Amino acid sequence: MTNLQEDSSTDQVERKPARFVPGQPDMWVFVLFESLLFTGYFSVYLIGRIQNRDLYLQSQADLDLRFGIFNTIALLLSSWAIARCVQASREGMYRDALRDAFLTIGFGVAFLVSKVFEWHNEIRLGNTFTSNEFFQHFFFLTSIHLLHLLIGFIVMGVAVYQLWSPARRSQRLVETCATYWHTVDFLWVLIFALLYVVR
Amino acid sequence: MTATFNKRLAIVWLVLSAMTMAYVWLDRSADDDGVLKASTVVTVSAIVIALVKVRIIFREFMEVRHAPVWLRRLTDGWVVLMAACLLGSYFIGSALAG
Amino acid sequence: MSTPTGSLTSRLLWNFRHNPKRELWFAWWVMVVFYQLYGVLFFFVTRVQPPASPAWDTPMVVQWFNDRHNGLLAGFGVVFLISGLCAPMNALLAYSMRRMSVSRVFGYSYLIMYSLSAIPGMLVMAIAMTVGAMRPDRDPELIHWLFDFAFLSFSGTMGVFMIGSLVWLVAILIDKNRVFPKWFGYLGLCNALTEVVVAPAWIFQRGVFAWNGAIAWWINMVVFVTYTVCFIVLLRKMIEREDFGTGPLPDLPPKAERSQPDSVGAMQ
Repeated sequence: MTNLQEDSSTDQVERKPARFVPGQPDMWVFVLFESLLFTGYFSVYLIGRIQNRDLYLQSQADLDLRFGIFNTIALLLSSWAIARCVQASREGMYRDALRDAFLTIGFGVAFLVSKVFEWHNEIRLGNTFTSNEFFQHFFFLTSIHLLHLLIGFIVMGVAVYQLWSPARRSQRLVETCATYWHTVDFLWVLIFALLYVVR
Repeated sequence: MTATFNKRLAIVWLVLSAMTMAYVWLDRSADDDGVLKASTVVTVSAIVIALVKVRIIFREFMEVRHAPVWLRRLTDGWVVLMAACLLGSYFIGSALAG
Repeated sequence: MSTPTGSLTSRLLWNFRHNPKRELWFAWWVMVVFYQLYGVLFFFVTRVQPPASPAWDTPMVVQWFNDRHNGLLAGFGVVFLISGLCAPMNALLAYSMRRMSVSRVFGYSYLIMYSLSAIPGMLVMAIAMTVGAMRPDRDPELIHWLFDFAFLSFSGTMGVFMIGSLVWLVAILIDKNRVFPKWFGYLGLCNALTEVVVAPAWIFQRGVFAWNGAIAWWINMVVFVTYTVCFIVLLRKMIEREDFGTGPLPDLPPKAERSQPDSVGAMQ
């Protein structure tokens, strides 16, 4: 799936404490562009919020902070796991790396399940995508983030596939997958602060 | 080498989780007996804490610490850019709303 | 046989008759011209973009049509004439996928999808708008209906473009011939996602998710324009690098060596 010739030289560089770009620089283009895009969505939300403070405050009261906290901790755990995975794979400890990769996916699934549960709760309270402006933003931001998480599962699939067999194990590709996953994490960190805590 | 890295990552996770828990306190302090009240202090704090977390994730989890200087500067610049957009939207929006 | 030096006309004439990449360059230029025309026609002549609001009442919509009467008829008249320009454009993109190491299924799927997508994505709006503008004394309710039909068709049918983007980006990411840089594949993912974001336009008549909303239109436009500019530049690079082989596409030599234009000799 990737150019193995470039990878063997990168592996040698990584064993020394030299400077390296984690993963493909291409993925960093995506990370930065996507962050800017989300920042655009967040800015629209904040401006909308200020123009309609009471409506937003009232609707926000229907959110349960515990879900937000649980979700943030779950994704932080998943980021921790994939960071460990990258380290382990760099040291050649592939069994540990695979275990960490599966942990990452596991915490991601925990996030997914909790998110669906939370949506179910909100809908039962009568809050849907079309209820009011706040919930438009809530469901939009959480849905598009969840879509990124689902793509993250495919990306983690690529990482697991790489780590599985000695014939592959491209460190660069594993790092690229990790970079994507961390993006899903830090986007949620911002979404959580903006939807649940900002007043 | 792995042991040191593992310890560092564990500490990073602890710090990030502690900052997350700080939100619980922030959230409680913002409310008046269960009634939510608008507050610039809470909003700005929430955004700033989130961006500090993002920078920590960049530096430690995403290994920008070991990256060439251009990537370090770029990611720092990005955090500043996001801060400017978010805080800017909030304050300019407030000024316009009157 | 190498390219001649000499006056611009003689060089152009030589390229037109002998350059092996002439069809590719023709398609590329058609694409550039098409997008320029599209921009001018939709934004300045017909002025249907930026889009009007779905929240308007009927008298406002009728007024909007009256203000644009001549622009709509003239502008879309030209759109009907030039819509065929889409063909070489889509063909060039499908060609890029044929040059990749991936299955031809990708190129063919893309071609079919994008050929069909021009109908709801451009032509239906053109037809509905010209019908609306043609008889200004028509029943206002009918004019409002045509207004909704046009804009919903234009904005709401992004699904086809999204699938097309996905086909292209998957091809780019698994391609071993390095036809496009991987970052462009990832940018395609951003583009495809923004096309999902337009879907709520079917539900909302006002707010940020309406067909003219800050999120469903304005932010989307920024991403789309960025993506389009990138692929126009990258397709140009692809044509310059093209060696008509089946292996990895060679990189361009550094600028100093590139003073000579493509020569037929290099192809053999």
